[in-house]
Amino acid sequence: MNDGYRKPTAFVLDDEEKVKPAKTKARKPAIEFEADAPVGELVTVPAIPQRKTTRFRWGFVLVSALFGLLSLWAGMAITTLVEDFFTRSPTLGWLALGVAALAGLAAVAIIVREAWSLMRLKRIEHIQSTSAHAINLDDKKASEETITSLGDIYAGRHDTAWGLAAFREHNADIIDPRDRVMLFDRLVMRPLDEEAHRIIARRARRVTLLTTVTPAAALDILFVAAQNLRMLRELAELYGGRPSTLSTLKLARMVISHLAVTGGLALSDNLIQHVVGRGLLGRLSARFGEGAVNGIMTSRIGLAASDVCRPIPQADSTKETLGSLLKELIKFGDATKAPDEKT
Amino acid sequence: MPSALEGDRRVKLRDVLDASRIAAGGLKDFATGLVNPTLRLGVTGLSRSGKTVFITALVHALTKGARLPLFEAQASGRITRAYLEPQPDDDLPRFGYEEHLQRLTTEEPSWPESTRRISQLRLTLEYEPRGIIARNFKSGKLHIDIVDYPGEWLLDLPLMQMTFHEWSMATINASRIEPRASLAKTWHAHLKTLDATSPARELDAVKAAELFTSYLADCRKDGVSLSSLPPGRFLMPGDLAGSPLLTFAPLNVGLDQDFPRGSLGDLMERRYNSYVSKIVRPFFFGHFARLDRQIVLVDTLSALNAGVAAVQDLKNALAQVMKCFRLGSNSILSEVFGRRIDRILFAATKADLLHQSSHDHLENILRLIVDDASARAEFTGASVDVAALAAIRATREAKVKQRNEELPCIAGIPQKGEVIDGITFDGEREAAIFPGDLPENAGDALNGTMQGKLKFLRFRPPPLKDGTFPHIRLDRTLEFLLGDRFS
Repeated sequence: MNDGYRKPTAFVLDDEEKVKPAKTKARKPAIEFEADAPVGELVTVPAIPQRKTTRFRWGFVLVSALFGLLSLWAGMAITTLVEDFFTRSPTLGWLALGVAALAGLAAVAIIVREAWSLMRLKRIEHIQSTSAHAINLDDKKASEETITSLGDIYAGRHDTAWGLAAFREHNADIIDPRDRVMLFDRLVMRPLDEEAHRIIARRARRVTLLTTVTPAAALDILFVAAQNLRMLRELAELYGGRPSTLSTLKLARMVISHLAVTGGLALSDNLIQHVVGRGLLGRLSARFGEGAVNGIMTSRIGLAASDVCRPIPQADSTKETLGSLLKELIKFGDATKAPDEKT
Repeated sequence: MPSALEGDRRVKLRDVLDASRIAAGGLKDFATGLVNPTLRLGVTGLSRSGKTVFITALVHALTKGARLPLFEAQASGRITRAYLEPQPDDDLPRFGYEEHLQRLTTEEPSWPESTRRISQLRLTLEYEPRGIIARNFKSGKLHIDIVDYPGEWLLDLPLMQMTFHEWSMATINASRIEPRASLAKTWHAHLKTLDATSPARELDAVKAAELFTSYLADCRKDGVSLSSLPPGRFLMPGDLAGSPLLTFAPLNVGLDQDFPRGSLGDLMERRYNSYVSKIVRPFFFGHFARLDRQIVLVDTLSALNAGVAAVQDLKNALAQVMKCFRLGSNSILSEVFGRRIDRILFAATKADLLHQSSHDHLENILRLIVDDASARAEFTGASVDVAALAAIRATREAKVKQRNEELPCIAGIPQKGEVIDGITFDGEREAAIFPGDLPENAGDALNGTMQGKLKFLRFRPPPLKDGTFPHIRLDRTLEFLLGDRFS
């Protein structure tokens, strides 16, 4: 080889075995145009403030130590309990041991599930950053990684089967890395987005209704919180998460901090809230107005949650706002009552 | 003011007339556009860059519903129908879509012949608009007018801003530099015998024009592949062959030399001026001044094949041509009085002659070649993109293991008579070709490092697959050029 360039050459296809079908080769392009995409069009991973971990956290040590002590105590108590049963009668003893083992198994299962779901949450966060990288920099490696991991996550689900099949049809085509991620987004993620809309709208309507009909003001706080958590779980599950207690709580924290960072609302959203909540509906009935405000808040949380859960982040221009949800919210009016309807 | 006129320093009556001509044309287009939304797609490219193939492939892909995953309107099924309609301009011949398609799909397929005259085609797309307002008030129909013309004519456009003296000097100076100088020897010898101030003799003019034309033709041959060869009608006369309009040639004159009446210089200057006003201007105003979208096809690979002089020449030619376009984002005023081109795509055609791992490099080289042109376009507010494109993909990809390395190759049937590495092809045998490595650093393509290290063959057209042609990035191209009109 002279100075790095290979000589042009030809291979006549007489013996077929010399040639193998093409495989896509992940070669890193030598020239990366970092500033290629204008700043206005970049997609960004949903903003969540990172906690500072510079200081050694004594509080954490205290809680862990206490927890360890507590589990030691529980373990000992159970052991003595089982021993007691054995001294009384071997049959009872075996029974107690069996029950204890079952409890232990359940505890392990729960821990595994929690860990698994937390890992899934991490994984989705990771996919978010790789896919943003792929879209912004047209990076082949990131694009392939995104698509394989998402393919794994969505494999075997009935609501993504069609999209995945449609996407696989283009496997052999020559498509730029950025466009491939966008194509995946359009074929597989868009149907999920629509489903997410329906989930958010359903929960928002329910929150409105519950707030309106609940007699005690304290009660609706509970209802709203419960409905919101359930919405979070549904959204997480829709986008490929495996919600469990811990991961839902973590998700809730992420959503709230995301809302806090981005402000979470466009000007138009504010206006809607004002007109619908405090203005018109509030005059008609105070409870109803409150209900509408709660419903709107729920849908805003829902939008933030789908922002956080969606593995491929969207460009700001294509992001959904309350305005685009309004249509879904009003649709309810045709079916049954219309608590959240814009008059 | 229209960018086409920026080159001039003083405002002349002609400029005012031109501007009003553009405004009048724009007003007319606006009025017809209200009833029939129309998009005029400019398919521009120097000769042999693949305009005809691109148009044929585009029409075929849309009418036959090809797989275009990235062209959203088609992929999501919102385009309900696509068909050809009689074109709006009665004075232009129709683009011979059926004949070109016929050539591509017979038993012995071949690429369409080079375009000899201007022609037009109207493709109508019916689609489902998005949104309530659009669905009720838009017709859901979009006419796409495409014009095909010989690429040589494109190089005439810069002549509009040159006087005979300027053009003569530029042409003669260019012809004194290699590789042109050796091709221009006979013409130069004859040029020395001519005196611009002596009385005009028709035979002198004819002889000069003949020699000048054959010099231009030599410059275009394979192996030299120069691009910047105005006036275009000399190489592709259309139906003007032998007309006095084409019987002139540059003369060795100074910038402000005056010619006495009846002298050779006077005759040449008069003919040059009528060439510009009777041929170039109508072509510009009838076609170029009214475009909405623009795709510039660039045959980067042939230029790379021919070496650094050809690449440099291509770069200059493109920069000159780009000066003639009316680029920029549209305002309410420009919507009415002459739309500007707000999206322009530079496409490196024949990307199927390379393995896809080289496409990034190819795009980078093209980016460098159109650097001046695209910077200019971006400055005016038009959006610019670059893509490695194959409207019809004639090859498939393969990998060949040889000794310790794996060569990314393309496989297909090379055309008869193509030669690489001592092997001559008969147009029947299939072969995997490794065309060489494109430079990692795009600048190497322009500074001569790559001389003789690349070889791109021509392949035979592929058979239809499921009734459509395979392609590379045709969908992305369409999405960029047309996508926003379907929302």
